[in-house]
Amino acid sequence: MAGTAMGGTRRNPWAPWLLVAPGVLWLLAFYLLPTLALARTSVGPEGVAWYDGYQRAFTDYGQHLLRSFWYAGLATVLALLLGYPLAYVIAFRAGRAKNLLLGLVVLPFFTTFLVRTFAWKTILGDEGWLVGLLGTLHLLPSEGRLLSTTWAVIGGLTYNFLPFMILPIYVSLEKIDRRLTEAAQDLYCNALEAFRKVVLPLSLPGVFAGSLLTFIPAAGDFINAELLGSPNQKMLGSVIQGQFLTVRDYPLAAALSFVLMTIITILVLIYTRLLGTEELA
Amino acid sequence: MKRREPYDEQELQSLVRRALSRRQFLGRTALAAGGLALGSSFLAACGKKDGGAAADSTAAAAGGAKAINISNWPLYIDAKTVAEFTTATGIAANYTEDVNDNDEFFAKIDEPLKRGQSIDRDIVVLTDWMAGRLIKLGYTQAIPTGPFPNKANLVDNLSNVGFDPGRTHSVPWMSGMTGIAYNPKTLGRELTSINDIFDPKYKGKVTMLTEMRDTLGLVMLGMGKDPATCTLDDAKAACAKIKQARESGHIRRFTGNDYTDDLSAGNISIAIAWSGDIQGLAADSPDLVWLAPREGAMLYSDNMMIPKSSTNPDLAAAFMNYVYDPAHSAQIIAGAPYLSPVKGMGAELEKIDPALAKSPLVNPPDDLRARLHVFRWLEEAEETEVNKAFQDAIGA
Repeated sequence: MAGTAMGGTRRNPWAPWLLVAPGVLWLLAFYLLPTLALARTSVGPEGVAWYDGYQRAFTDYGQHLLRSFWYAGLATVLALLLGYPLAYVIAFRAGRAKNLLLGLVVLPFFTTFLVRTFAWKTILGDEGWLVGLLGTLHLLPSEGRLLSTTWAVIGGLTYNFLPFMILPIYVSLEKIDRRLTEAAQDLYCNALEAFRKVVLPLSLPGVFAGSLLTFIPAAGDFINAELLGSPNQKMLGSVIQGQFLTVRDYPLAAALSFVLMTIITILVLIYTRLLGTEELA
Repeated sequence: MKRREPYDEQELQSLVRRALSRRQFLGRTALAAGGLALGSSFLAACGKKDGGAAADSTAAAAGGAKAINISNWPLYIDAKTVAEFTTATGIAANYTEDVNDNDEFFAKIDEPLKRGQSIDRDIVVLTDWMAGRLIKLGYTQAIPTGPFPNKANLVDNLSNVGFDPGRTHSVPWMSGMTGIAYNPKTLGRELTSINDIFDPKYKGKVTMLTEMRDTLGLVMLGMGKDPATCTLDDAKAACAKIKQARESGHIRRFTGNDYTDDLSAGNISIAIAWSGDIQGLAADSPDLVWLAPREGAMLYSDNMMIPKSSTNPDLAAAFMNYVYDPAHSAQIIAGAPYLSPVKGMGAELEKIDPALAKSPLVNPPDDLRARLHVFRWLEEAEETEVNKAFQDAIGA
């Protein structure tokens, strides 16, 4: 490159197209086409009303839908409450330990999702020390156990998606120019006000991205509900898996997938409006 | 900015460095790595549940063309037989324990077999009714008789079955009984009846199998119905009972073989269980017992079949021949105490494990045999209807 003039007069007009082509082809082959095939499946075989699967999705599995979004929402809020302070400390207060702490956040990912969730089965087990301790303190939920309860599933979701909350928030906090908070304090803000008026608004893109990265996969997740829940904690992901693999009612399973995707899209749009940010961290 | 000259290389590099500080770089790679890790674990979750004999895959690779892939259920073989088969025959065997549920496994292999694609397996082991479905759909090939002289050792009562007359496309791997497993010490009592599992005392401590015929059959026996002759209404009444117990939180989970984890960890007190599994748990949980309730237990067989996509039917038949040798069968039974379909196995087991040879799990006494029931054949329409009621009952 040394010595080459980069005046930009002889740009290849095809360059942008060549650059996006692999991504576009990938999405076409592995996203758009399967989605279309799924849409075709969801309207069912000949002789059945096309909306049959969709109707049953709401009449038979309405409660699973509500449960999925309720669990995912709660897990997102919990992840935010746990993740924001942690990201804040890493970004502003960690000093030389910053890289170490970031590494620790990512470390659990070196083990697979499935194994980590299995580990929680051991930790939360009925004969485990945690249940024993909480039992002594009379803090157990009404079932008298932790595993196979709503709390275990929400806890598992929060745990598994927490890094997806922490990392984007960290990135947006890290970008903030420290002089802005100094300026706020020069203008008679106390530390809390400086945080509320300067740091928090500037970190919103991170909160936004983190919430989406947590909420969307959590709403469709089935591993946590399968391993840490009972049949009464089944989320929509489990139902879809069961309908595809066990019952083999493909139209219903495909319709459920579309309902899930549509509702997530609507929720994301509403959320975008409310938070009023176009920029992702 | 003072200068407005074209960038030289040094400046470009320093710009890049400033724009992408090391910490940010770490953050971004970490994010990407996180995404990758999650992606691959999702794949792992969708794929096989249990890498049973992973070490054998190296042997399979070394063997070149003389290798077969076998898919079987967990806890269904001893530790030595696969390796000894390879030593004896020179055929590498990649034995995988990736069958956890008949329906789930069928869903995995149905599409490729329908399209005539390979499923990369030379032997699959599935339960009677599912074996019947596979044979009917033409998904299996005839078992070569040349390399399989030991087929003559197949016990008489299994040598001719409705779904495979003359046993041309399937041979039993093992038979088993479905009853109840529990720990009398922690429960503080002996159980005798199927209906004990509905005792309110055990709320939230009970699991049932996702295998419809096993769970439904036992519950029907508890309701005084015989699964061999039951009507659709009997089956639906049993489904309603299960549904009620599930909704009230009495039943904690519906499982495949994985009930064994919950049982040995003490998360559950009573499980609908397969007769041979408990022996496999004895090392960790010596107090567990398997019970054939007084109302009866279910009897089933799991059958070896050669998928039509297999290119090694002769090698697969050689494996079947090997395990149909009474001495080899005895060794497998010693590791997984089910009912062997091989004549003369009992005498061989007497030599290696006399105590086990007398166990009712391996050699059921006549009064237990009299209480064993087989779920009747369901026609396709019936099966769909019962299955729908059952899936609804278990909240699938």
